[in-house]
Amino acid sequence: MDYRLRLAKRMLFNKKGSLIGAVLAVTIGILVIHVNFVIFQGLFDAIVRDISEYRNGDVLVTNEDDYIDKSDSSLVSWFERISYVDAAAPRLSSTAEMEITKNGQRIEKTRIPVVGVDPFNDIRASTVHETVAEGTYVFSRNSIVLGNSVSEDLGGASVGDNVKVMIVDRWGEEQTKRFIVSGIAKSPGGQGFDYSAVIHIDTLRDMTNREDQTGSIMVKLNDPSKALEVKEFFLRSFPNDGFLAETIEESAEEQLAGFRSGIAMINMIGYFGMMSSAFAIVTIQMMLVNGKTREIGVMRSIGAKRKDILIIFIFQGMIIGAIGAGVGTAAGLGYTVYAKETEMSFNNSLPLEVTYNWEKIVQTALTSFVLAIIASLYPSYRATKLLPVEAMRTV
Amino acid sequence: MKALDNVTFSIEQGEVVLIVGSSGSGKSTLLNMIGLLDRPTDGKIFIDGKNTISLGDDEVSSFRNQKLGFIFQFSNLLSDLTVLENVLLPRQIGGSEEDIEKDARDLLKAVGLEDQIHKRANKISGGQAQRAAIARGLINKPSIVLADEPTGNLDSVTSETIVQLMKSMAKKLNQTFIIVTHEREHFGNVDKVITIKDGKSFEGDYHAEMEVIV
Repeated sequence: MDYRLRLAKRMLFNKKGSLIGAVLAVTIGILVIHVNFVIFQGLFDAIVRDISEYRNGDVLVTNEDDYIDKSDSSLVSWFERISYVDAAAPRLSSTAEMEITKNGQRIEKTRIPVVGVDPFNDIRASTVHETVAEGTYVFSRNSIVLGNSVSEDLGGASVGDNVKVMIVDRWGEEQTKRFIVSGIAKSPGGQGFDYSAVIHIDTLRDMTNREDQTGSIMVKLNDPSKALEVKEFFLRSFPNDGFLAETIEESAEEQLAGFRSGIAMINMIGYFGMMSSAFAIVTIQMMLVNGKTREIGVMRSIGAKRKDILIIFIFQGMIIGAIGAGVGTAAGLGYTVYAKETEMSFNNSLPLEVTYNWEKIVQTALTSFVLAIIASLYPSYRATKLLPVEAMRTV
Repeated sequence: MKALDNVTFSIEQGEVVLIVGSSGSGKSTLLNMIGLLDRPTDGKIFIDGKNTISLGDDEVSSFRNQKLGFIFQFSNLLSDLTVLENVLLPRQIGGSEEDIEKDARDLLKAVGLEDQIHKRANKISGGQAQRAAIARGLINKPSIVLADEPTGNLDSVTSETIVQLMKSMAKKLNQTFIIVTHEREHFGNVDKVITIKDGKSFEGDYHAEMEVIV
């Protein structure tokens, strides 16, 4: 072993307090990044997951004229012939006024979003049916699923209640129909249809006078990484129908843009934390240099060059960086495993989408390692500036 | 005020030379200049016919490593290393890739520390540390060994042992020993005694011109 590495190691390990302090500084820096990643990236991914699962699928097809005129069943069949596609389902949206009589009291609510679904395809392409906490999902043309929030607004509407729904059709005429509440939907994190009502798509088509029209087709893939490929294939196959197709990243961008900036800021805070760790290393190494002044003088007097002294203290930075990066990464991974195994949720509601981002994990460890080395440069440089005679006078 | 002024002398190879004088007379300053640890503001120091004043920092380091051996008053062993590692250090700093451990063990045996080699330097007695420091000073077979009050911190019995050890090494290896001491009586017969007189200035500027011929 190079004598400089041995000396660096011994000097460091014989000052356990300093070593532990410096390693802790690096560890905490890395841990902050990991915790931030688990919570905020996990939250971001959870929202993406829920938007994909409940609303947009992996590919969302719409039309530049707002409504798709082509037959939804032919489009669904076309998609389902692609091997990457699990299922596809049509959706249609509108807004409604609802009225319910509870305990002799009439309650009205306006501007409630209404989503029309094809129950058969929808339960294959979306998991929104799993958010029905009470009762069942839409199963007939006169059943309605109320979001939890809508149910509360309607005075606690429950399964079996009768609701009057009024929708203004495409010609401006008010259409009214009575529905039986078949279920109440409540999703963790509220990304589902908690603030909407769900009815059969054909019923909504009738009420809006949009027979054979569809608002969107959500396409669920068995391999989400093929979303771009499927989207482009679709657009190439239907070049003249005015279709628009977006991957989940594109369709959710508007909702997630602000969140993305927030994550960038949180990451920046994490990296500032890492910089603080670097300052801690500078301080601790300066203490080490000051504590070894006499030894530095002795080494210089027996022939060590300034370069040798520099290397000894840079080796110390590397040792601190390597141990800190190792311990920090282990601690960070421990937290990530804990978050994944316990299905950690945000605000006790939305389950975080915890992933192991190995690229980021390695990048964080390498960054902290390099920062530790950079932090050791100034103390190392100061050590080389000590004059042997002056240094040896230090007791 | 000059710490040293008009100091001129020459030393031949293999001589044991004492530099004596009262405390603060400039003995250690003189030794530090011969050892290239300190530089005079004016004057010349010749070693091996080379004026060492003109050497750059790295050359000075190499010169110290190859040509000079140091024995300090407080041994100055590195407490983080073992006795053996301390003795090996000058050779490793010099970048030697030879089988250096045998030389170190032989030297430690010669100074009577063969059973202490794996002890940490701060776990041995003062006399043992000073003997280890002598072994470290000799490991690179330097032309000149510079000793600054090598017995200053030791009892009289240990001092006597150290003195005899240095003298025997000088004779055996034909090395020049320049020893700063205020304990002239411990050293008996030596080849030369240089006295730095009291009354010299100890602060500020100094002038030295000396030739150490080996």
